[in-house]
Amino acid sequence: MVFSYHWLQSFFQKKLPQPEKLAEVLTRHFAEVEEVNKKGSDFALNIDIRPNRAGDSFSHLGIAREISAVTGLSLWPEADKYKEIKNKKAGDFISVKVQSKKTCPRYSAKVIDNIKVGSSPKWLQDRLRVCGLRPINNVVDIANYVMLETGQPLHAFDFEKIEGAKIIVRKAEKGEKITTLDGEKYDLDSNVLVIADKKRPIGIAGIKGEKFSGINKKTKIIVLEAANFNPQIIRKGSRKLNLKTDASLRFEHGIDSNLTEIALNRACYWLEKIAKGKPVSGLVDFYPVKVLPKKIKLDLDYVEKLLGIKIPQREIRKILKSLDFKIIGKLVEVPTRRLDISMEEDLIEEIGRIYGYDKIPCTFAVSSLILPQKNLNIFWEDFAKNILKEAGFTEVYNYSFFGAEEAKLFGYPNRNEGAEKKRSFFDYEEKLIEVENPLNQEYKYLRPSLIPALLKNVEKNQRYFPEIKIFELGKIFKSKRTEKRMLTGVMTGDAFYEVKGVVDLLLNKLGISDIWYDEYEPTPEESKLLVWHPKKCAEIKTNGQEIGFLGEVSPKILSGLDIKERTVLFDIDFEKLSQLASEEHEYRPISKFPAAVRDIAVLVPRNVKIAEVLNKIYDTGKKIIRDVELFDIYEGEEIPAGKKNLAFHIIYQAQDRTLTSAEIDQIQNRIIEVLEKEEDWEIRK
Amino acid sequence: MRMAKINLKTLKNKAKKEIEKAKDLKGLNRLFNKYLAKKGELVLILRSLEKLPKARRIDIGKKANELKNFLKIEFEKKSQGIKEKIQKETEEKEWLDITVPGKRPVWGHLHPLTITKRKVEEIFQAMGFSIIEGPDIETEWYNFDALNIPKEHPARDVWDTFYLKNGWLLRTHTSPVQVRYMEKNNPPLRIIVPGSVFRHEATDPSHEFQLYQIEGLMVDKKISVANLKAIVGEFFRRFFEKDVRFRLRPDYFPFTEPSFDIGISCVICHGKGCSVCKKSGWLEVAGAGMVHPHVFKNSKLIPKDWQGWAFGFGLERLAILKYKINDIRLFRSGDLRFLTQF
Repeated sequence: MVFSYHWLQSFFQKKLPQPEKLAEVLTRHFAEVEEVNKKGSDFALNIDIRPNRAGDSFSHLGIAREISAVTGLSLWPEADKYKEIKNKKAGDFISVKVQSKKTCPRYSAKVIDNIKVGSSPKWLQDRLRVCGLRPINNVVDIANYVMLETGQPLHAFDFEKIEGAKIIVRKAEKGEKITTLDGEKYDLDSNVLVIADKKRPIGIAGIKGEKFSGINKKTKIIVLEAANFNPQIIRKGSRKLNLKTDASLRFEHGIDSNLTEIALNRACYWLEKIAKGKPVSGLVDFYPVKVLPKKIKLDLDYVEKLLGIKIPQREIRKILKSLDFKIIGKLVEVPTRRLDISMEEDLIEEIGRIYGYDKIPCTFAVSSLILPQKNLNIFWEDFAKNILKEAGFTEVYNYSFFGAEEAKLFGYPNRNEGAEKKRSFFDYEEKLIEVENPLNQEYKYLRPSLIPALLKNVEKNQRYFPEIKIFELGKIFKSKRTEKRMLTGVMTGDAFYEVKGVVDLLLNKLGISDIWYDEYEPTPEESKLLVWHPKKCAEIKTNGQEIGFLGEVSPKILSGLDIKERTVLFDIDFEKLSQLASEEHEYRPISKFPAAVRDIAVLVPRNVKIAEVLNKIYDTGKKIIRDVELFDIYEGEEIPAGKKNLAFHIIYQAQDRTLTSAEIDQIQNRIIEVLEKEEDWEIRK
Repeated sequence: MRMAKINLKTLKNKAKKEIEKAKDLKGLNRLFNKYLAKKGELVLILRSLEKLPKARRIDIGKKANELKNFLKIEFEKKSQGIKEKIQKETEEKEWLDITVPGKRPVWGHLHPLTITKRKVEEIFQAMGFSIIEGPDIETEWYNFDALNIPKEHPARDVWDTFYLKNGWLLRTHTSPVQVRYMEKNNPPLRIIVPGSVFRHEATDPSHEFQLYQIEGLMVDKKISVANLKAIVGEFFRRFFEKDVRFRLRPDYFPFTEPSFDIGISCVICHGKGCSVCKKSGWLEVAGAGMVHPHVFKNSKLIPKDWQGWAFGFGLERLAILKYKINDIRLFRSGDLRFLTQF
């Protein structure tokens, strides 16, 4: 909110610190002054007043009080003496009826006669302009001026336009319409509180005045309203009408009911001075429950205990007094305008901030020695990320959202189309979670998978990088309220085996050795099919459970996302993975006995799986084989059609003796026998 | 006998000369065979001694052995010399352009937020804080009401919220975990809570709708503002690895009282005033305060028994300052031109 430096100065007899200096002091003790801008000969201070202080500080007087408290400069006594017309009473002009004291705890009004509407003096116009308001005429300007000064919104009615000389504060009725001062038309309903006369609404309570009952050049008598409305009803109305004003802003945050009279007196003072107005004696005032100052107990030991510094009692008294708080024994009486103060901690905050947080020392707490617990979730996350980093993958963070278009491309069910249900791989329960108020269609749902965003990352980066290896470890979301961490990676190129190797490495490093890959043959109902290439996809299994998938991305998705290269994915359930992970690792002694390597080449039909061949070799060789390495797969020239040649190094080694060559030959021959027993398998010699 | 003696002398001179003249290891080896091998000249001389009387034999034998040792050393020296010469020549011939770029092993990159998060976690763990996590999908109760932000309170507007059609919402801060944790764990406690938070707002270079936040909470019998200052100061010094000044200034959060904004002296201009700190010399980096009694109450603790502080800051903000990143949207852009720099 913007404040005029000159205006603030006018509350003090002594000179204020320079604007920049004043800004710094206020920032340290009150609220951040975001900007100081020169405006003509004046300066505009833009202060970020936090919502708790709106009640007393959305006003120059409020800021001046703060300045006084933090600088020690004293305020001028308020000058608001004016003459009243003794023989006329406000109550003779007008009467007020409030439908509910809950929505309108106070309604005060003054009647001012003999108004000469014209333009306001330049100094007043200048002050309004510095604060961003446009001068209109002296009556409206004074109402605005007093609002900026005291924080109490005021509204002036042309007395002669009020039908039946009666003001009614009530909820609007459905079908009622209003045209505001700026000529805009609004349809009202019972969410909106209005000020009405006998016939129609003449103002939207706390938000904006109405056009025909407003001030014009011919206005002679005005009714000046200063009311207090329930913050919630103003908020609701303002939202309903999508109309925010300087008045609604103040009412929404709540203001002191006792302020109405103060503001009216200020306004009468200026109306008399500037608009030749003659205030009629008395106040029309609906104020059934008077708000009294709160008294709060203050324990000085607690002040010390909470702030961590002993502030002398004298100093505390001085601070409280500087804020207009009264000390009555152990109690502190707080002015009613300080709506933010209701308990002891609030008082301690006042003491702390005025005293200066800078003066509080840095003292480490004396506390029992409790060792931090190891967070295994985070430990394994870090561990897995490091492995992937070392394997050449770059970590990305994507948004937790997911768009409508992607949902369609990836075959996620559309809630409204039952027919689509079949194509989904979800159980019916596992629906997408939809955002009520998405930023846009691109972020309509919470992401049910990390895959779509990672593939989009590939698309975006493919122009700059020939090979892309990225991963993300993050949460996915499924209805009703499931959050699960996934670890998902992508690599471009014909890289199935590379990615498989990375998954092996990752799992091994996480202490999981019992890994195997099952061919994944989804049923047509399962739309994981939509992501995975149906013939190049595997389930990753360990300890008898599926922990994720590995495979090439289907051509349909690649073309849908405009990815030029083949792309291979792994998608692992990280909750399962971190359950299985273990730091235990046992050293296997290096055999003292020499190893011998024999090669074997076998010609098999194309569709024979390597695992099948390996299993036969291991099963035959048992403990004597330390390792079998596949070093070549060959199809093509010199090989019969429909066949492939597999070449292995078999490494023989025993833990307890040197193997003789006769022993090795015997096993090797047995392996050859076993392999040749298979139809169409042939050992190449 | 004299013959043998003379022979030894001549042999020594001859061998010495020939060794000196040898040009390569092959030639040297030939000479070695000529003199010292089983049928070499020296052996032949020694053999010829068999006929001499014992005393003479010992005398000449001794001399012959000395000559043998002498020659061995000569051969060794010469061989060394030749080898060194060869090595030197090879080195002279070879040359490498050391300005050719090195071949790097393929190495991936961790996200800057991960690096920043680890650093923050490490510092707080060293100060005895446990790391706790909470759900991204929250209830209105934990995200607002339990934190003393009632419905229809204007303060609720400050946290622009994504609501979900299932009735929940995306947490707007990590503070709900304060309540979740205190419900289940009695003080004394010291925790930090890292996690994603969501704000319904338009993005620009300094605004983002999904952020990574870290919450801190310390509760015990007598935890004070002074204690908060000590921990916060230590954190910033360790994080920025320089003597960063910091300040608390008044702020407002419904779940703390008193509440502070924590600012640090601008790490770009060292407090002199620049565009990053908007010429103020200070950067706002965190919100903090003393845990509000209502929050204790809503966590099923008796407010009078406990005191504590809490803070929250954005990880992006710290990373931006640490790495001088100019656009907050880069973090979730997936742009490898950005990510591979870390």
